[in-house]
Amino acid sequence: MTQSPTPPKAAYRPLSPHLQIWRFHMTMFASIVHRITGVATIAGLLMGVAWLWALALGPQAYTCFLTCASSPLGLVVWMGVSLAGFIHLTGGIRHLIWDLGYMFEPKKADTLAAITFWGAIILTVILWVALFSTGKVQVML
Amino acid sequence: MSDSYLNERSAKDWKKSHKHGAGEWLAERGTSLILLPLTLWAVWSGYQLAGQGVDAALAFAKTPLNAGLIAAIFVVSGWHMFMGLKVIVDDYIGKDGTRGFLNLLNLLFCLAVTGAALYALFLLVRS
Ligand code: HEM
Repeated sequence: MTQSPTPPKAAYRPLSPHLQIWRFHMTMFASIVHRITGVATIAGLLMGVAWLWALALGPQAYTCFLTCASSPLGLVVWMGVSLAGFIHLTGGIRHLIWDLGYMFEPKKADTLAAITFWGAIILTVILWVALFSTGKVQVML
Repeated sequence: MSDSYLNERSAKDWKKSHKHGAGEWLAERGTSLILLPLTLWAVWSGYQLAGQGVDAALAFAKTPLNAGLIAAIFVVSGWHMFMGLKVIVDDYIGKDGTRGFLNLLNLLFCLAVTGAALYALFLLVRS
């Protein structure tokens, strides 16, 4: 383009969302949370890499990995990653449902967002209750 | 409302992505579709291995099917993560140079994560 066109005097311009008066709604929340949990899940991926390296480096390294992983701080990190991962995963299912064209009407979309969000929290609780109640994970102080 | 000014320009000068975009869209959905069963399998496997020692973990990871699935998870999530982070960078960073630089870092990071995982897997499967 050699020369910019002269804009007409009263060109229609869409306004960007005004953040301070942006009303909270469920799908907005779900969108923000999907982004945050996507990034947080990267921590889980890195912990997977650490697990593989600990295995590759031998029993000593693996003991070190287990000590960190089962420490109170380690457990809190695992819990956080599992929560973020489950929220991102059920959020991904929600996206796939929407992409197929289902539950896209505002009310249904809100319901779906709520179901996937609370579903992820329930899955996380079930996972950790199972881990503790079977004795697979114990808190060592 | 009149969009005439927008229409006049948009088709020619703004819509640079009209020939691609579908590929990225499909890749994002494709990777999430594949990651869905893979991550559930990973959680299930982690659950089974929890509380066990190095022998159980090593036996698990050396089983060909498991090794293959571990490799798949890191390849697909590396790709998924790159696309996801790229969208975030593209959303928030307006300056071309900065954006390009951050996306290069993003690419290197994702390749490094996947590469590090595959290399460790290779070492432990051979050990
Ligand atoms: C290995 C684990 C995973 C990691 C590290 C990861 C990471 C990410 C990141 C960083 C984003 C970018 C967020 C954004 O652009 O707002 C993202 C987006 C996305 N993720 Fe994941 N993800 C993982 C697993 C999954 C799974 C299992 C699913 C599906 C069930 C999924 C579905 C999606 C979808 C649909 C998007 C795009 C959302 C959009 O279009 O805005 N992800 N992911």
